Amino acid sequence: MSTDASEADILRPIQRTSRQYYVLLGAVLVAIGLFVAAWSYQLYHGMVVTGLADWGSGGGVTWGLYIGAFIWWVGIAHGGIILSAAVRLFGMKRYQPVARLAELLTIAGLSVAGIYIVVHVGRPDRIVTSILLNYHETIHSSPLVWDVTVITLYFVMTATYLGLTLRYDVTRLRGELPERFEPLYRLMTIGYTEREDEIVERMVWWLALGIIVLAPLLLHGGVIPWLFALIPSMPGWFGAVQGPQFLSIALTSAISGVIVAAYAFRRTYDWAHILSDDVFRGLTLWLGLFGLLFLWLQLQQVIGGVYAPSNDLGAVTSAMVTHPAYVYAIGMMVLTLAYVFAQALDPTVFSPLRSVIAGVAVLTATLVEKVLFVVEGLMYPTFDLYASIPGDYVPSLVELASVVGTVGIVVLFFMVVAKVVPVIELHAVEAEHETEAEP
Amino acid sequence: MSDDPLEELHTDEWEAEMESVLEETEYDTELGLEMAKDAQRLVAGDLSEAEFYERYHGAVVEEFGVDDRPVGTEEGVVEAMRGHDGPGLLQRLADAETADDVDRRELLKKFGAGAAFLGLGAAATKEASEEAAAATPTGSEDDDGTQWGMVIDLNKCDGCLACVTACQQENNTSTGANWMYVFTYEEPNQETQNFLVRPCQHCTNAPCEKVCPTTARHTRSKDGLVLTDYDVCIGCRYCQVACPYGVNYFQWGEPDTPGSELDENHVYDERDRRVDSRPPKGVMGKCTMCPSRQDGKMGEEQVGTTACEQACAMDAIHFGDMNDPDDDPQQHLERVRNEQPNDLDTYPNRPTNTVSTFRLLEEFGTDPNVVYVGNEPSEEAEQVEGPVTYEDIGEVDRRKEVLDDGTFGGVRS
Ligand code: SF4
Ligand code: SF4
Ligand code: SF4
Repeated sequence: MSTDASEADILRPIQRTSRQYYVLLGAVLVAIGLFVAAWSYQLYHGMVVTGLADWGSGGGVTWGLYIGAFIWWVGIAHGGIILSAAVRLFGMKRYQPVARLAELLTIAGLSVAGIYIVVHVGRPDRIVTSILLNYHETIHSSPLVWDVTVITLYFVMTATYLGLTLRYDVTRLRGELPERFEPLYRLMTIGYTEREDEIVERMVWWLALGIIVLAPLLLHGGVIPWLFALIPSMPGWFGAVQGPQFLSIALTSAISGVIVAAYAFRRTYDWAHILSDDVFRGLTLWLGLFGLLFLWLQLQQVIGGVYAPSNDLGAVTSAMVTHPAYVYAIGMMVLTLAYVFAQALDPTVFSPLRSVIAGVAVLTATLVEKVLFVVEGLMYPTFDLYASIPGDYVPSLVELASVVGTVGIVVLFFMVVAKVVPVIELHAVEAEHETEAEP
Repeated sequence: MSDDPLEELHTDEWEAEMESVLEETEYDTELGLEMAKDAQRLVAGDLSEAEFYERYHGAVVEEFGVDDRPVGTEEGVVEAMRGHDGPGLLQRLADAETADDVDRRELLKKFGAGAAFLGLGAAATKEASEEAAAATPTGSEDDDGTQWGMVIDLNKCDGCLACVTACQQENNTSTGANWMYVFTYEEPNQETQNFLVRPCQHCTNAPCEKVCPTTARHTRSKDGLVLTDYDVCIGCRYCQVACPYGVNYFQWGEPDTPGSELDENHVYDERDRRVDSRPPKGVMGKCTMCPSRQDGKMGEEQVGTTACEQACAMDAIHFGDMNDPDDDPQQHLERVRNEQPNDLDTYPNRPTNTVSTFRLLEEFGTDPNVVYVGNEPSEEAEQVEGPVTYEDIGEVDRRKEVLDDGTFGGVRS
């Protein structure tokens, strides 16, 4: 029976573990180990081990790579959940095979974003008490508290979502799943009856609706950009364009992330018939669309900052556009767009691997752009009488280790999850066979 | 003084001037005069915006009706009075304050007499409101409570950095964490060196406090000091990001002075919150305006003083209750104003004195509690090496040089 074959397909990661898996596992653990070592060093000696310093007379910037990477991960996470919600809400069946990957990316992305908040502060031991005990007061005014709130909210929504859809799959595949996780499966499917399927489907739909509706308001449409956009004394940050700008970055990074993750699974488990070229081609087009949006918004910002700007805005804009990192980021986006257009005109230009390369280019571009945004913003405040302005900043090895480490954590997360539950929904392969059965 | 101080302004001269301007228009001069008077009340805060509209809405429509005004409808006239893109009436009046005669006539043409009345009223009130501002530099704050702050006379400062040293010693701040900071700066095409003395401004509407995710940065209700609770702060540094002045200094590593060497009376304030002296590792610090002194923990005679103020041989720093006309800050303002009177005999419409005062970056709406006597640095001002350098006093100006020593695998800049 063909269905069995497909079930077997999505079960393959759980049942088969190759040597490469262990090699990758080793590499990932080393990356995470590096990060843990760097962080421990930072905890011991203080934030002084970073390349950060006070802005103003201090001649540095007080936020840097940590905050930039934090935004980047939230962006990836945010876009991931929008993608999966779009699949459920608008019935974009074509992308159903990547829906769960996108959700997993969201969970992993939000988790490491959370880690970044902890790594970034000087007294992580107090986060829980200081924030929670004063929450009723600070929620009215602090964008940082809005952030924490919304990240938690998204985490809960996504986890619920994922949990609900997993119940269906795990129940049906129970017989094939490894014995040793039995208690976990039992917990996940507790109280499951077939009658809930319909209800769950409706719940998932509503959750998806909630996520889509909240998407432009919260996270990268709102609270994350508001961290910056509401600070009038930092002209590189201030202004309403940051909301859309951040959202465009979130969407491009997330689609890139999904492309990369999907390709890794496709190659490892011979899933070309599930994660087909068609899926990649579609994702590539979306990447192009949002990339265009990104460039358009950058253009708005740059034009606003170079055409008869106020002194402070002019200073930060010209510093930004001439910075090699900015040129790199925009260049990568332009190249990606060129590829997307070329493959749209001539389908032979397309290959999933090329899309992966474009995806990686975009991911590096958005990370670089975000860090630069944070740093340059702080280097060019309105009050620039200090001779030490613009300050300077080079991320220290401690900070760089965090990027390696968090990427490692996300990869590890996928590797572990793939061994426990199917990363492709049963629905996706069922649907595939239904359509295939049709003449 | 009469009950209504504004009555004093409604002199015959004033009325004559108004009448002559209004007569040039085709509108009801009497209505215009009435409106202008009430516009002054509005500026002085004796009349609310709502009341003002209430009073003149009908009259204005009747007067200007649906005729050939640029804005012909009822709503339109009120809209014109309010200004099209949002700024409230008060803002418009404030703008009109700065308009000169030509501009005012221009206004008249553009917006009709309604707006012009307002402009005239406001212009005539200018001096009155300046006087009011001089009396209470903290603006509309509850005038009864204590609001610690400073009047800093930049004309007296000679850039000796004694205040910087004093603050460092008082608070044991780490090298480069210059809670008190003095700029020596030059303006383009000017030979003179100017100084700007920069403690924390202890803003009444402090953005640092607004963004703080923990309430560690807070305003002490008793006296308006903006403080950091070192036991609550998580060291996110958002306050430093949001403060427009760059007065915050984070404790990036171990403080130069260990906690055991701090005077206990100089760490906890009277509420028993750890807000004074240098911050411990991982939390934020900045000028505190010496709460231990203000709480009497260092002796009654130190209440109302700060270390920087005491160190200033030039008597440039005047710390005290900004709301108290008898306290040092207001007294100093009054003194310098009296020293530099304007020639009112020849120019009766000029302000009473020629003293320039400002609050730093007021445009950010922070409502700072430091008032400067002297000129505000322009956007082109450049910091230069002062007569006494930070190195001379054994300090470091650019703190990053110190911090880079602790950076792991970073690039020394
Ligand atoms: S000067 Fe800066 S740190 Fe001080 S109260 Fe104002 S905003 Fe806060
Ligand atoms: S560094 Fe401390 S005082 Fe400043 S915003 Fe963060 S928690 Fe508040
Ligand atoms: S008021 Fe106190 S804390 Fe502030 S600069 Fe002066 S001495 Fe330092």
